[in-house]
Amino acid sequence: MNSVRELLGVAWSGLSARRIRTVLIMLGPIVGVAAMVGAVGLTESAKGDLKAKLAELGTNLVIATPGSSFGDQTPTFPEDVVERVHRIETVESAATTAEIAGVIALPSAGSEDHFAAFPVPVKAADLVLPSVLEVPVLSGRWLSQADLDGEARAVVLGSGLAYEYGYLDGEIRSIRLNDKDYGVIGVLGPVALDPALDNAVFVTQWAAEEDFGTDGLANKMYVRSAQGSTEDTADSIPTAVALGGPDEVTVEVPTDILEASAQADETLQQTALFAGLLALAVGGLGIANVMSISVIQRSAEIGIRRAVGHTRARVGSQFLLEALFIGLLGGLVGAALGVAVVYGISALAGWVVVIAYDRIPIWMSLALAVSVAAGLFPSVKAARLEPLETLRLG
Amino acid sequence: MTVLLELDGVSRVYGEGVPVYALRDVSLQVNAGDFLSIVGPSGSGKSTMLGLLGCLDLPTSGTIRIGGVDVGALDDASRSVLRGQSIGFVFQQFHLIPHLTALGNVETALLYRGLRAPERRRRAGEALAMVGLAARADHRPVQMSGGEQQRVAIARAIVTQPLIVLADEPTGALDSTNAANVLEIFQELQSPERAVVIVTHDLGVADSAARKVSMRDGQVVGDENLATAHA
Repeated sequence: MNSVRELLGVAWSGLSARRIRTVLIMLGPIVGVAAMVGAVGLTESAKGDLKAKLAELGTNLVIATPGSSFGDQTPTFPEDVVERVHRIETVESAATTAEIAGVIALPSAGSEDHFAAFPVPVKAADLVLPSVLEVPVLSGRWLSQADLDGEARAVVLGSGLAYEYGYLDGEIRSIRLNDKDYGVIGVLGPVALDPALDNAVFVTQWAAEEDFGTDGLANKMYVRSAQGSTEDTADSIPTAVALGGPDEVTVEVPTDILEASAQADETLQQTALFAGLLALAVGGLGIANVMSISVIQRSAEIGIRRAVGHTRARVGSQFLLEALFIGLLGGLVGAALGVAVVYGISALAGWVVVIAYDRIPIWMSLALAVSVAAGLFPSVKAARLEPLETLRLG
Repeated sequence: MTVLLELDGVSRVYGEGVPVYALRDVSLQVNAGDFLSIVGPSGSGKSTMLGLLGCLDLPTSGTIRIGGVDVGALDDASRSVLRGQSIGFVFQQFHLIPHLTALGNVETALLYRGLRAPERRRRAGEALAMVGLAARADHRPVQMSGGEQQRVAIARAIVTQPLIVLADEPTGALDSTNAANVLEIFQELQSPERAVVIVTHDLGVADSAARKVSMRDGQVVGDENLATAHA
């Protein structure tokens, strides 16, 4: 143990005596590890905000739309569609909306022409829709059982529409749907996973049937699955809804697209990783080269160490340890540098920092392995030097 | 009289095709208390002799015993240990490690002996004090004169308390004042338990020793006891 400490001291003093040379050959592992940490960190951080958003939204929402076999031009779900999907074990909750055709919503008098040309979608919505979407009601409240039972002409606006109408929080406001006035009771928060809902007007099932003469059958269903079984749930929905009929239900997991776009640019990442590996390899050659020259330059030191009784193994280990220190320190500095670069650039670019801390030890070990491998040849060379030849006697 | 080092019928042959005898059938005993010089012109086999005496080289034939141990029977690692324990080297070119201080250089000889760092430093400091360089302990070789560097090298040679101090032209790179100073230290190193061997081509240096071994063409041609001759 004592002699290991002595060996470490000897190797360290050999390195610290030649600081500039040591720093220069340390650049290989430093640049290599920094490049790898930076490459992965920057490509991941560039998508960090999307990843954060994904984590917030959850990836377990499935959106189902009916196929054409259920109706003609405007296919709809069967009336008991929500009960049907609840038979799937992994379904936690479900809600539907029904698009009501031919309704013109007017926020104010005198805007008829504009809103006739660009009609606002009006949807009959389930009472549980916000909870299934996990979207808050920003202002007022959502449609309630009392609205249904009391046959109230109440609407909730999508957040985008509320903004467009200039609706103020808590304002008493009515909008006209065809020829009926409806009171605005609330504003639904932004629905990131189905932005179309942000521009819709939501009414109760009662209003759909009473005022607009529709059957109120849903043409869109939102299903929350148990965590981790989103794909299975999505796959089961067509069967559960069609009940053995032809599978004419289309399902999508909206976060799939988001997930795909949150994936770091792999080509870029791999290119940069490769560049890092290359820097390590070139750095390794540099270490081997400089250390080989160093062994020649220090042959007198090697000779005298052998003369005072240091064995070949000790002399070889001394040089190998120098290489090990270079790899170790270079890896550490490189990792710190890489992390600093990721933080710096992310701060400038406004990214959410993502650093692969779990992979940093792997890259550092790689730098260490490359350095030790590079130091092997010079170390063996040092150990094999004959003291008689290096000391130039007589 | 204790025999510290013994060469018995030693030859050292270089070259593979045509053998070149650097040393031919040499027998020599170095005893405790000897202050011995090995002298001869260049090419006489002095350097080869020094390498063999210092356990840095092995003979082609014959045996070398250091403290009774047959050097040829040892492996390289054991030979290194024996060398470190028995022999202290002083070279013409000093051969100090440039990045170490005087103290560090002397300490180098004490490494890997199971000594703790404070003990190593204490012994190295004592050895430096013995050659009059206690005040230079923290100086690097470049900050010291040739004479001082050689004294550091002597401190390094004696810090392990070797049986034999082996010096190769120790005054060769020094001016006359420093040379005299160094030779004086060698005189002081003499003790009944230790042998001091100086290899030189300088007859003045050779004559300062008590015993002079002369070499020519790879053979010992003279072994005089100057102490009695002077007397």
